[in-house]
Amino acid sequence: MASKRPLRALISTATCPLRPAQRPQPSLVRTSACAFSTTTPSRSPEYESEASERPRWQQTPARMVAPFRTRPLPKGPVFRVNEDPRRLDDAYIRMLGPGGDKVLSDEVKWLAVTHKSFDHGRRGFNDRLAFLGRRIVSLQTSHALLNSPQVEAWPKDDAGRPLPDEFGRRPFLHAALGGLPGLTQEAEDRVLDKSRLAPIAERYGLDKVTRWKPKQADNLLGSGLEAVSSTSLYAIIGAVALERGGEVANKITQDKILAPLGFTFPE
Amino acid sequence: MKRIRISRCGSQLLAQPAPRRPLCPYAAGLQRNITPHSQRIQSRLQSTTATSDEFELEEGEQAQAGRSRRSRLETKHTPLEALPSPHPSAAERSSKLAALRSRLSLPQRFPLQTLARTLVHPSADPNPAFNNASLSALGSNLLGYYTTEHLLCNYPRLPMSVVFAAEYAYIGPKALATIASEWGIEAVAEPGGEVDPGLLQFKRLRPGDDVPAALRRQAPWKWNVTTTHKILTSDEFGTPTPFGSASLPKNEPVPLEDSAQSFVRALIGSLHLHLGRPLVKRFFRDHFLSRHLDLSTLFDFRTPTRDLSRLCAREGFEAPVARLISETGRLSRHPVFIVGVYSGKDKLGEGAGSSLDEARVRAAAAALKGWYLYKPVEVTVPSSTEGELDSSKWRPNMVDCGEVIV
Repeated sequence: MASKRPLRALISTATCPLRPAQRPQPSLVRTSACAFSTTTPSRSPEYESEASERPRWQQTPARMVAPFRTRPLPKGPVFRVNEDPRRLDDAYIRMLGPGGDKVLSDEVKWLAVTHKSFDHGRRGFNDRLAFLGRRIVSLQTSHALLNSPQVEAWPKDDAGRPLPDEFGRRPFLHAALGGLPGLTQEAEDRVLDKSRLAPIAERYGLDKVTRWKPKQADNLLGSGLEAVSSTSLYAIIGAVALERGGEVANKITQDKILAPLGFTFPE
Repeated sequence: MKRIRISRCGSQLLAQPAPRRPLCPYAAGLQRNITPHSQRIQSRLQSTTATSDEFELEEGEQAQAGRSRRSRLETKHTPLEALPSPHPSAAERSSKLAALRSRLSLPQRFPLQTLARTLVHPSADPNPAFNNASLSALGSNLLGYYTTEHLLCNYPRLPMSVVFAAEYAYIGPKALATIASEWGIEAVAEPGGEVDPGLLQFKRLRPGDDVPAALRRQAPWKWNVTTTHKILTSDEFGTPTPFGSASLPKNEPVPLEDSAQSFVRALIGSLHLHLGRPLVKRFFRDHFLSRHLDLSTLFDFRTPTRDLSRLCAREGFEAPVARLISETGRLSRHPVFIVGVYSGKDKLGEGAGSSLDEARVRAAAAALKGWYLYKPVEVTVPSSTEGELDSSKWRPNMVDCGEVIV
């Protein structure tokens, strides 16, 4: 049989059993994510049903894990990622407001904060979500720049007509085009620079719940913490767009990303 | 051959051209730039020291209205040729612009002046109030958003590199240049104020010159240009942008492709500002999504057998086994082997090849394509909820965990 597991629904029904604390799960990234066992994984029915009940985010797929580690452990301190669903929910509530942990389905909640470096990409990663999220945030930033108060608007004379330029021509002004002087590619890149997005992600606690593997556990910034946090931020927006729609995602972008960056939006 | 008397020739050329029928009052403006043949001969036969005032007085009536408008436009000190791009008020009299607007089925309330502005590249006119740079920035964001949501909702399992390639195929520079030429956009030889506003205005590269450094594909300046890194830093096609600078220095010549791309993006941006979101979505569906792209040709596997084996391990399928389904001509010069890749009793993919290995690899690639090109039947894209009061039609989209990493 190709798969003994039930067909995955389009949204995973979030009835994943929270494993109680009596089953210890070592959350070291470097060793296998499953509990250490000397027995080779067998195809016995009990094992299959156990493995199938656990959600994808919680464990590495059993057949992708070697029975023992062959490479030596790298030097340096161990980097621990968050495995607690409650801490993840707290971060979502901090970012999306009350009820923020119910916005996304369970698997997608974890997927959005999982970087490709985590567990060698075996539990999924947030690349596609971040791609869509970045497109949404870029577009909303363009709109915000268009609607922001214009410092470089074309000077007008007392009658309201635009003054001529050095060639003596007056530009065509229209109400719809009023915000264009504020919108340039450079302005957009400056607004959405990862050094400005990373503090926002940190404010919501995303840098603590993001699952990734830094190059050096004692130098997270040098290993790219800013990039990983920004990716998680984009990915959450993308996930909300796919699961809840563009309207909700745009609102969240405006309130939770662009407002902290200094843009104001009329109600 | 009948001999023509010289005196009659001369008098015909020097006489005022008599209008043959009443002239359209608007034609004077349209033919502003075209002086009739007789008048050009006339001006040649005038004395070379004639001043411009005299020239104006002796002209035929049909050009007089146009000439005075032209001199009004010229203002006191700049002739039209000195302007970097056509005057905004010339847009109303351009037949090319009016024809373009109706060819694209745009409503009459869309101003021709904005349409003229979308055709002016910053290399022709650096003044941002007269060129299409800002509109192009808005339009590229819109195009990127709509294309991305279409791809990710309709093909939720597409690998990231294929997503980049598909975006490039739909809205990349070459695609937009093709679309512009399909719309009938022609480019000027040299931008200026005297050319028709309905032409694409940009500063051309001289033949044999190199593409400017900012547009050339550069070797990566950082070592870790991974796919995930590209998502954060590069544009929607995965092209690495040069470190630090995003725009060209002013007045740098550009290839035709770049100016056409900038025009199409600026057009989308201007449609969004003037006409609103629903029309832009319909325009995008009609002009961009209607173009057929065969996604299965965008894949390039290096070791599909290994990828497939890891995919089956990740998803919990039985390990894939390649089995020979049929064969012919094994000892001949052109054997054909048909191999199927099976997971348990289910066939995941089938491939034909002239060797056993080739057939097995093709079968694995077909199996992977079957996985990655999964397409849900009914899809609601995120932008369909924007501005909608009724949210009953919304169906959450499938979110896939990502391509298999080996």
